[in-house]
Amino acid sequence: MAYEAVKVKKPLTLILLPIISVLTFFLVWELIVEFDVVPKTMLAAPTQVGDRFIDKLSDPNPDGGTMAAHAWVSAQEAFLGYLLSLGIGLPLGLFMGWFSVVRGVARPLFELVRPIPPIAWIPLTIFWFGIGLWGKVFIIFLGGVVPCVINSFVGVRMTNPTLIQMSRTCGASDWQIFTHLCVPSALPMVFGALQIALACCWTNLVGAELLAADQGLGYMITMGRRLALPELVVLGMVSVGLAGALIGMVIETVERRLLSGIRR
Amino acid sequence: MDSAAINPEDRPTKIDVKSLTKRFGDLLVLNDISFNVAQGEFLAIVGPTGCGKTTFLNCLSKLMPTSAGDIFVDGEVADPKKHNISFVFQEPTCLPWRTVRRNVAYGMEIKRYPKEKINQRVDYMLDLVGLTDTQDLYPNQVSASMVQRITVARAFAMDPDLLLMDEPYGQLDIKLRYYLEDELIKLWQTLKSTVIFVTHNIEEAVYVAERVLVLSNKPTKIKAEVKVDLPRPRKLIDPEFVALRKQVTDLIQWW
Repeated sequence: MAYEAVKVKKPLTLILLPIISVLTFFLVWELIVEFDVVPKTMLAAPTQVGDRFIDKLSDPNPDGGTMAAHAWVSAQEAFLGYLLSLGIGLPLGLFMGWFSVVRGVARPLFELVRPIPPIAWIPLTIFWFGIGLWGKVFIIFLGGVVPCVINSFVGVRMTNPTLIQMSRTCGASDWQIFTHLCVPSALPMVFGALQIALACCWTNLVGAELLAADQGLGYMITMGRRLALPELVVLGMVSVGLAGALIGMVIETVERRLLSGIRR
Repeated sequence: MDSAAINPEDRPTKIDVKSLTKRFGDLLVLNDISFNVAQGEFLAIVGPTGCGKTTFLNCLSKLMPTSAGDIFVDGEVADPKKHNISFVFQEPTCLPWRTVRRNVAYGMEIKRYPKEKINQRVDYMLDLVGLTDTQDLYPNQVSASMVQRITVARAFAMDPDLLLMDEPYGQLDIKLRYYLEDELIKLWQTLKSTVIFVTHNIEEAVYVAERVLVLSNKPTKIKAEVKVDLPRPRKLIDPEFVALRKQVTDLIQWW
């Protein structure tokens, strides 16, 4: 075919720079701890964190769970909460964007609930669900649902009005315009929501686990504080960060595949 | 060529616009406009700037309710759900998430044509406008003129009862415009659609149309009707063409 995609080679510096910056960061961190710029009781060096990580792979002490056990509990909570917020938040936002009845009913309630930080729900959640899995899923859901609703709502509202007119002259019904036009138009915003919601979910996961848990990465951080083991705290933080970045990368890849036509 | 060759008056009426009136509050924009369009006729509408061309088209396409009067297709009140009304807008209206091919199919999908018919029709249209090679590309991967050809192909593909065009080539450079105008005429001659072509470009109107309606200033009425009975392909420097163009230009002058 005459129309072939052009392959652009990435310059070497662009590949090397991110690696260098990350390495420098860890090196400076290590040196700060090594030369006691910050006392060892307050911050752990990356090597200590690494040692602790290798320990924790097999040893449930001192906090009562191996790395895998904590990660598995957290992942379960986060994914259930995340999926729940997508499953409810995205359709709600999309419908609110196009159907005025849904907008009229849901918008005021949403605006009322939105400013309450999810962490403020923790006491009520403990009354309702105890400190088990579903209480945390609920907190995580509350954190993730807000960006889902807002982004998909705005995405639908930004649908090009000329395209709506064009569809109307074709005789499209409201529902057809919604499915054929508004939803695909909103997709870039929806994918933005996937990223933002994930960040919110992950943040609230740690928040929820700090207060009410007996396992999970957030719980590991709390235990690190109680046992005065900074490397355990940092290990928990780093695991949360890495996992979040990893999922973000997966979402970005999916997004790029799906939206090849919309990106310029 | 056959339907185009017959005098428009001898063809059956397709579109009947009866005392079309549009008011926005106190402002009377369209003042009791009535005219007919024959089956398969190519009608151009020109008018001074701000004479309400857009309002006029929005009423014709039923995007906007009229204050009085109505539009009839084959004697029935026009209804986008029932009749095939296509609208080619001035700005490109390709759906960026659909390939060229699926863009052309869009109108027919909305009308829920059977899949086979859509495929057949799309193949035919892509071939007519020369987009077969690019059918799997996305609109952001093709040139600006191709984008407008996609929308024109989509409009014709629906086999429209009425095809409305709102300065479709207004944003293209002159060479491309000539080329696409010729292509449009070819499409119209092949598919025998009924076309209303709105433009502010007088030369373009006289070049493509069988009949030109000249609108007045607001409140808009039909000021004059000019028949363009010239053989095709028309020549821009043909004295008859120049005379007609001058006639329309004189009619449109508001200064």
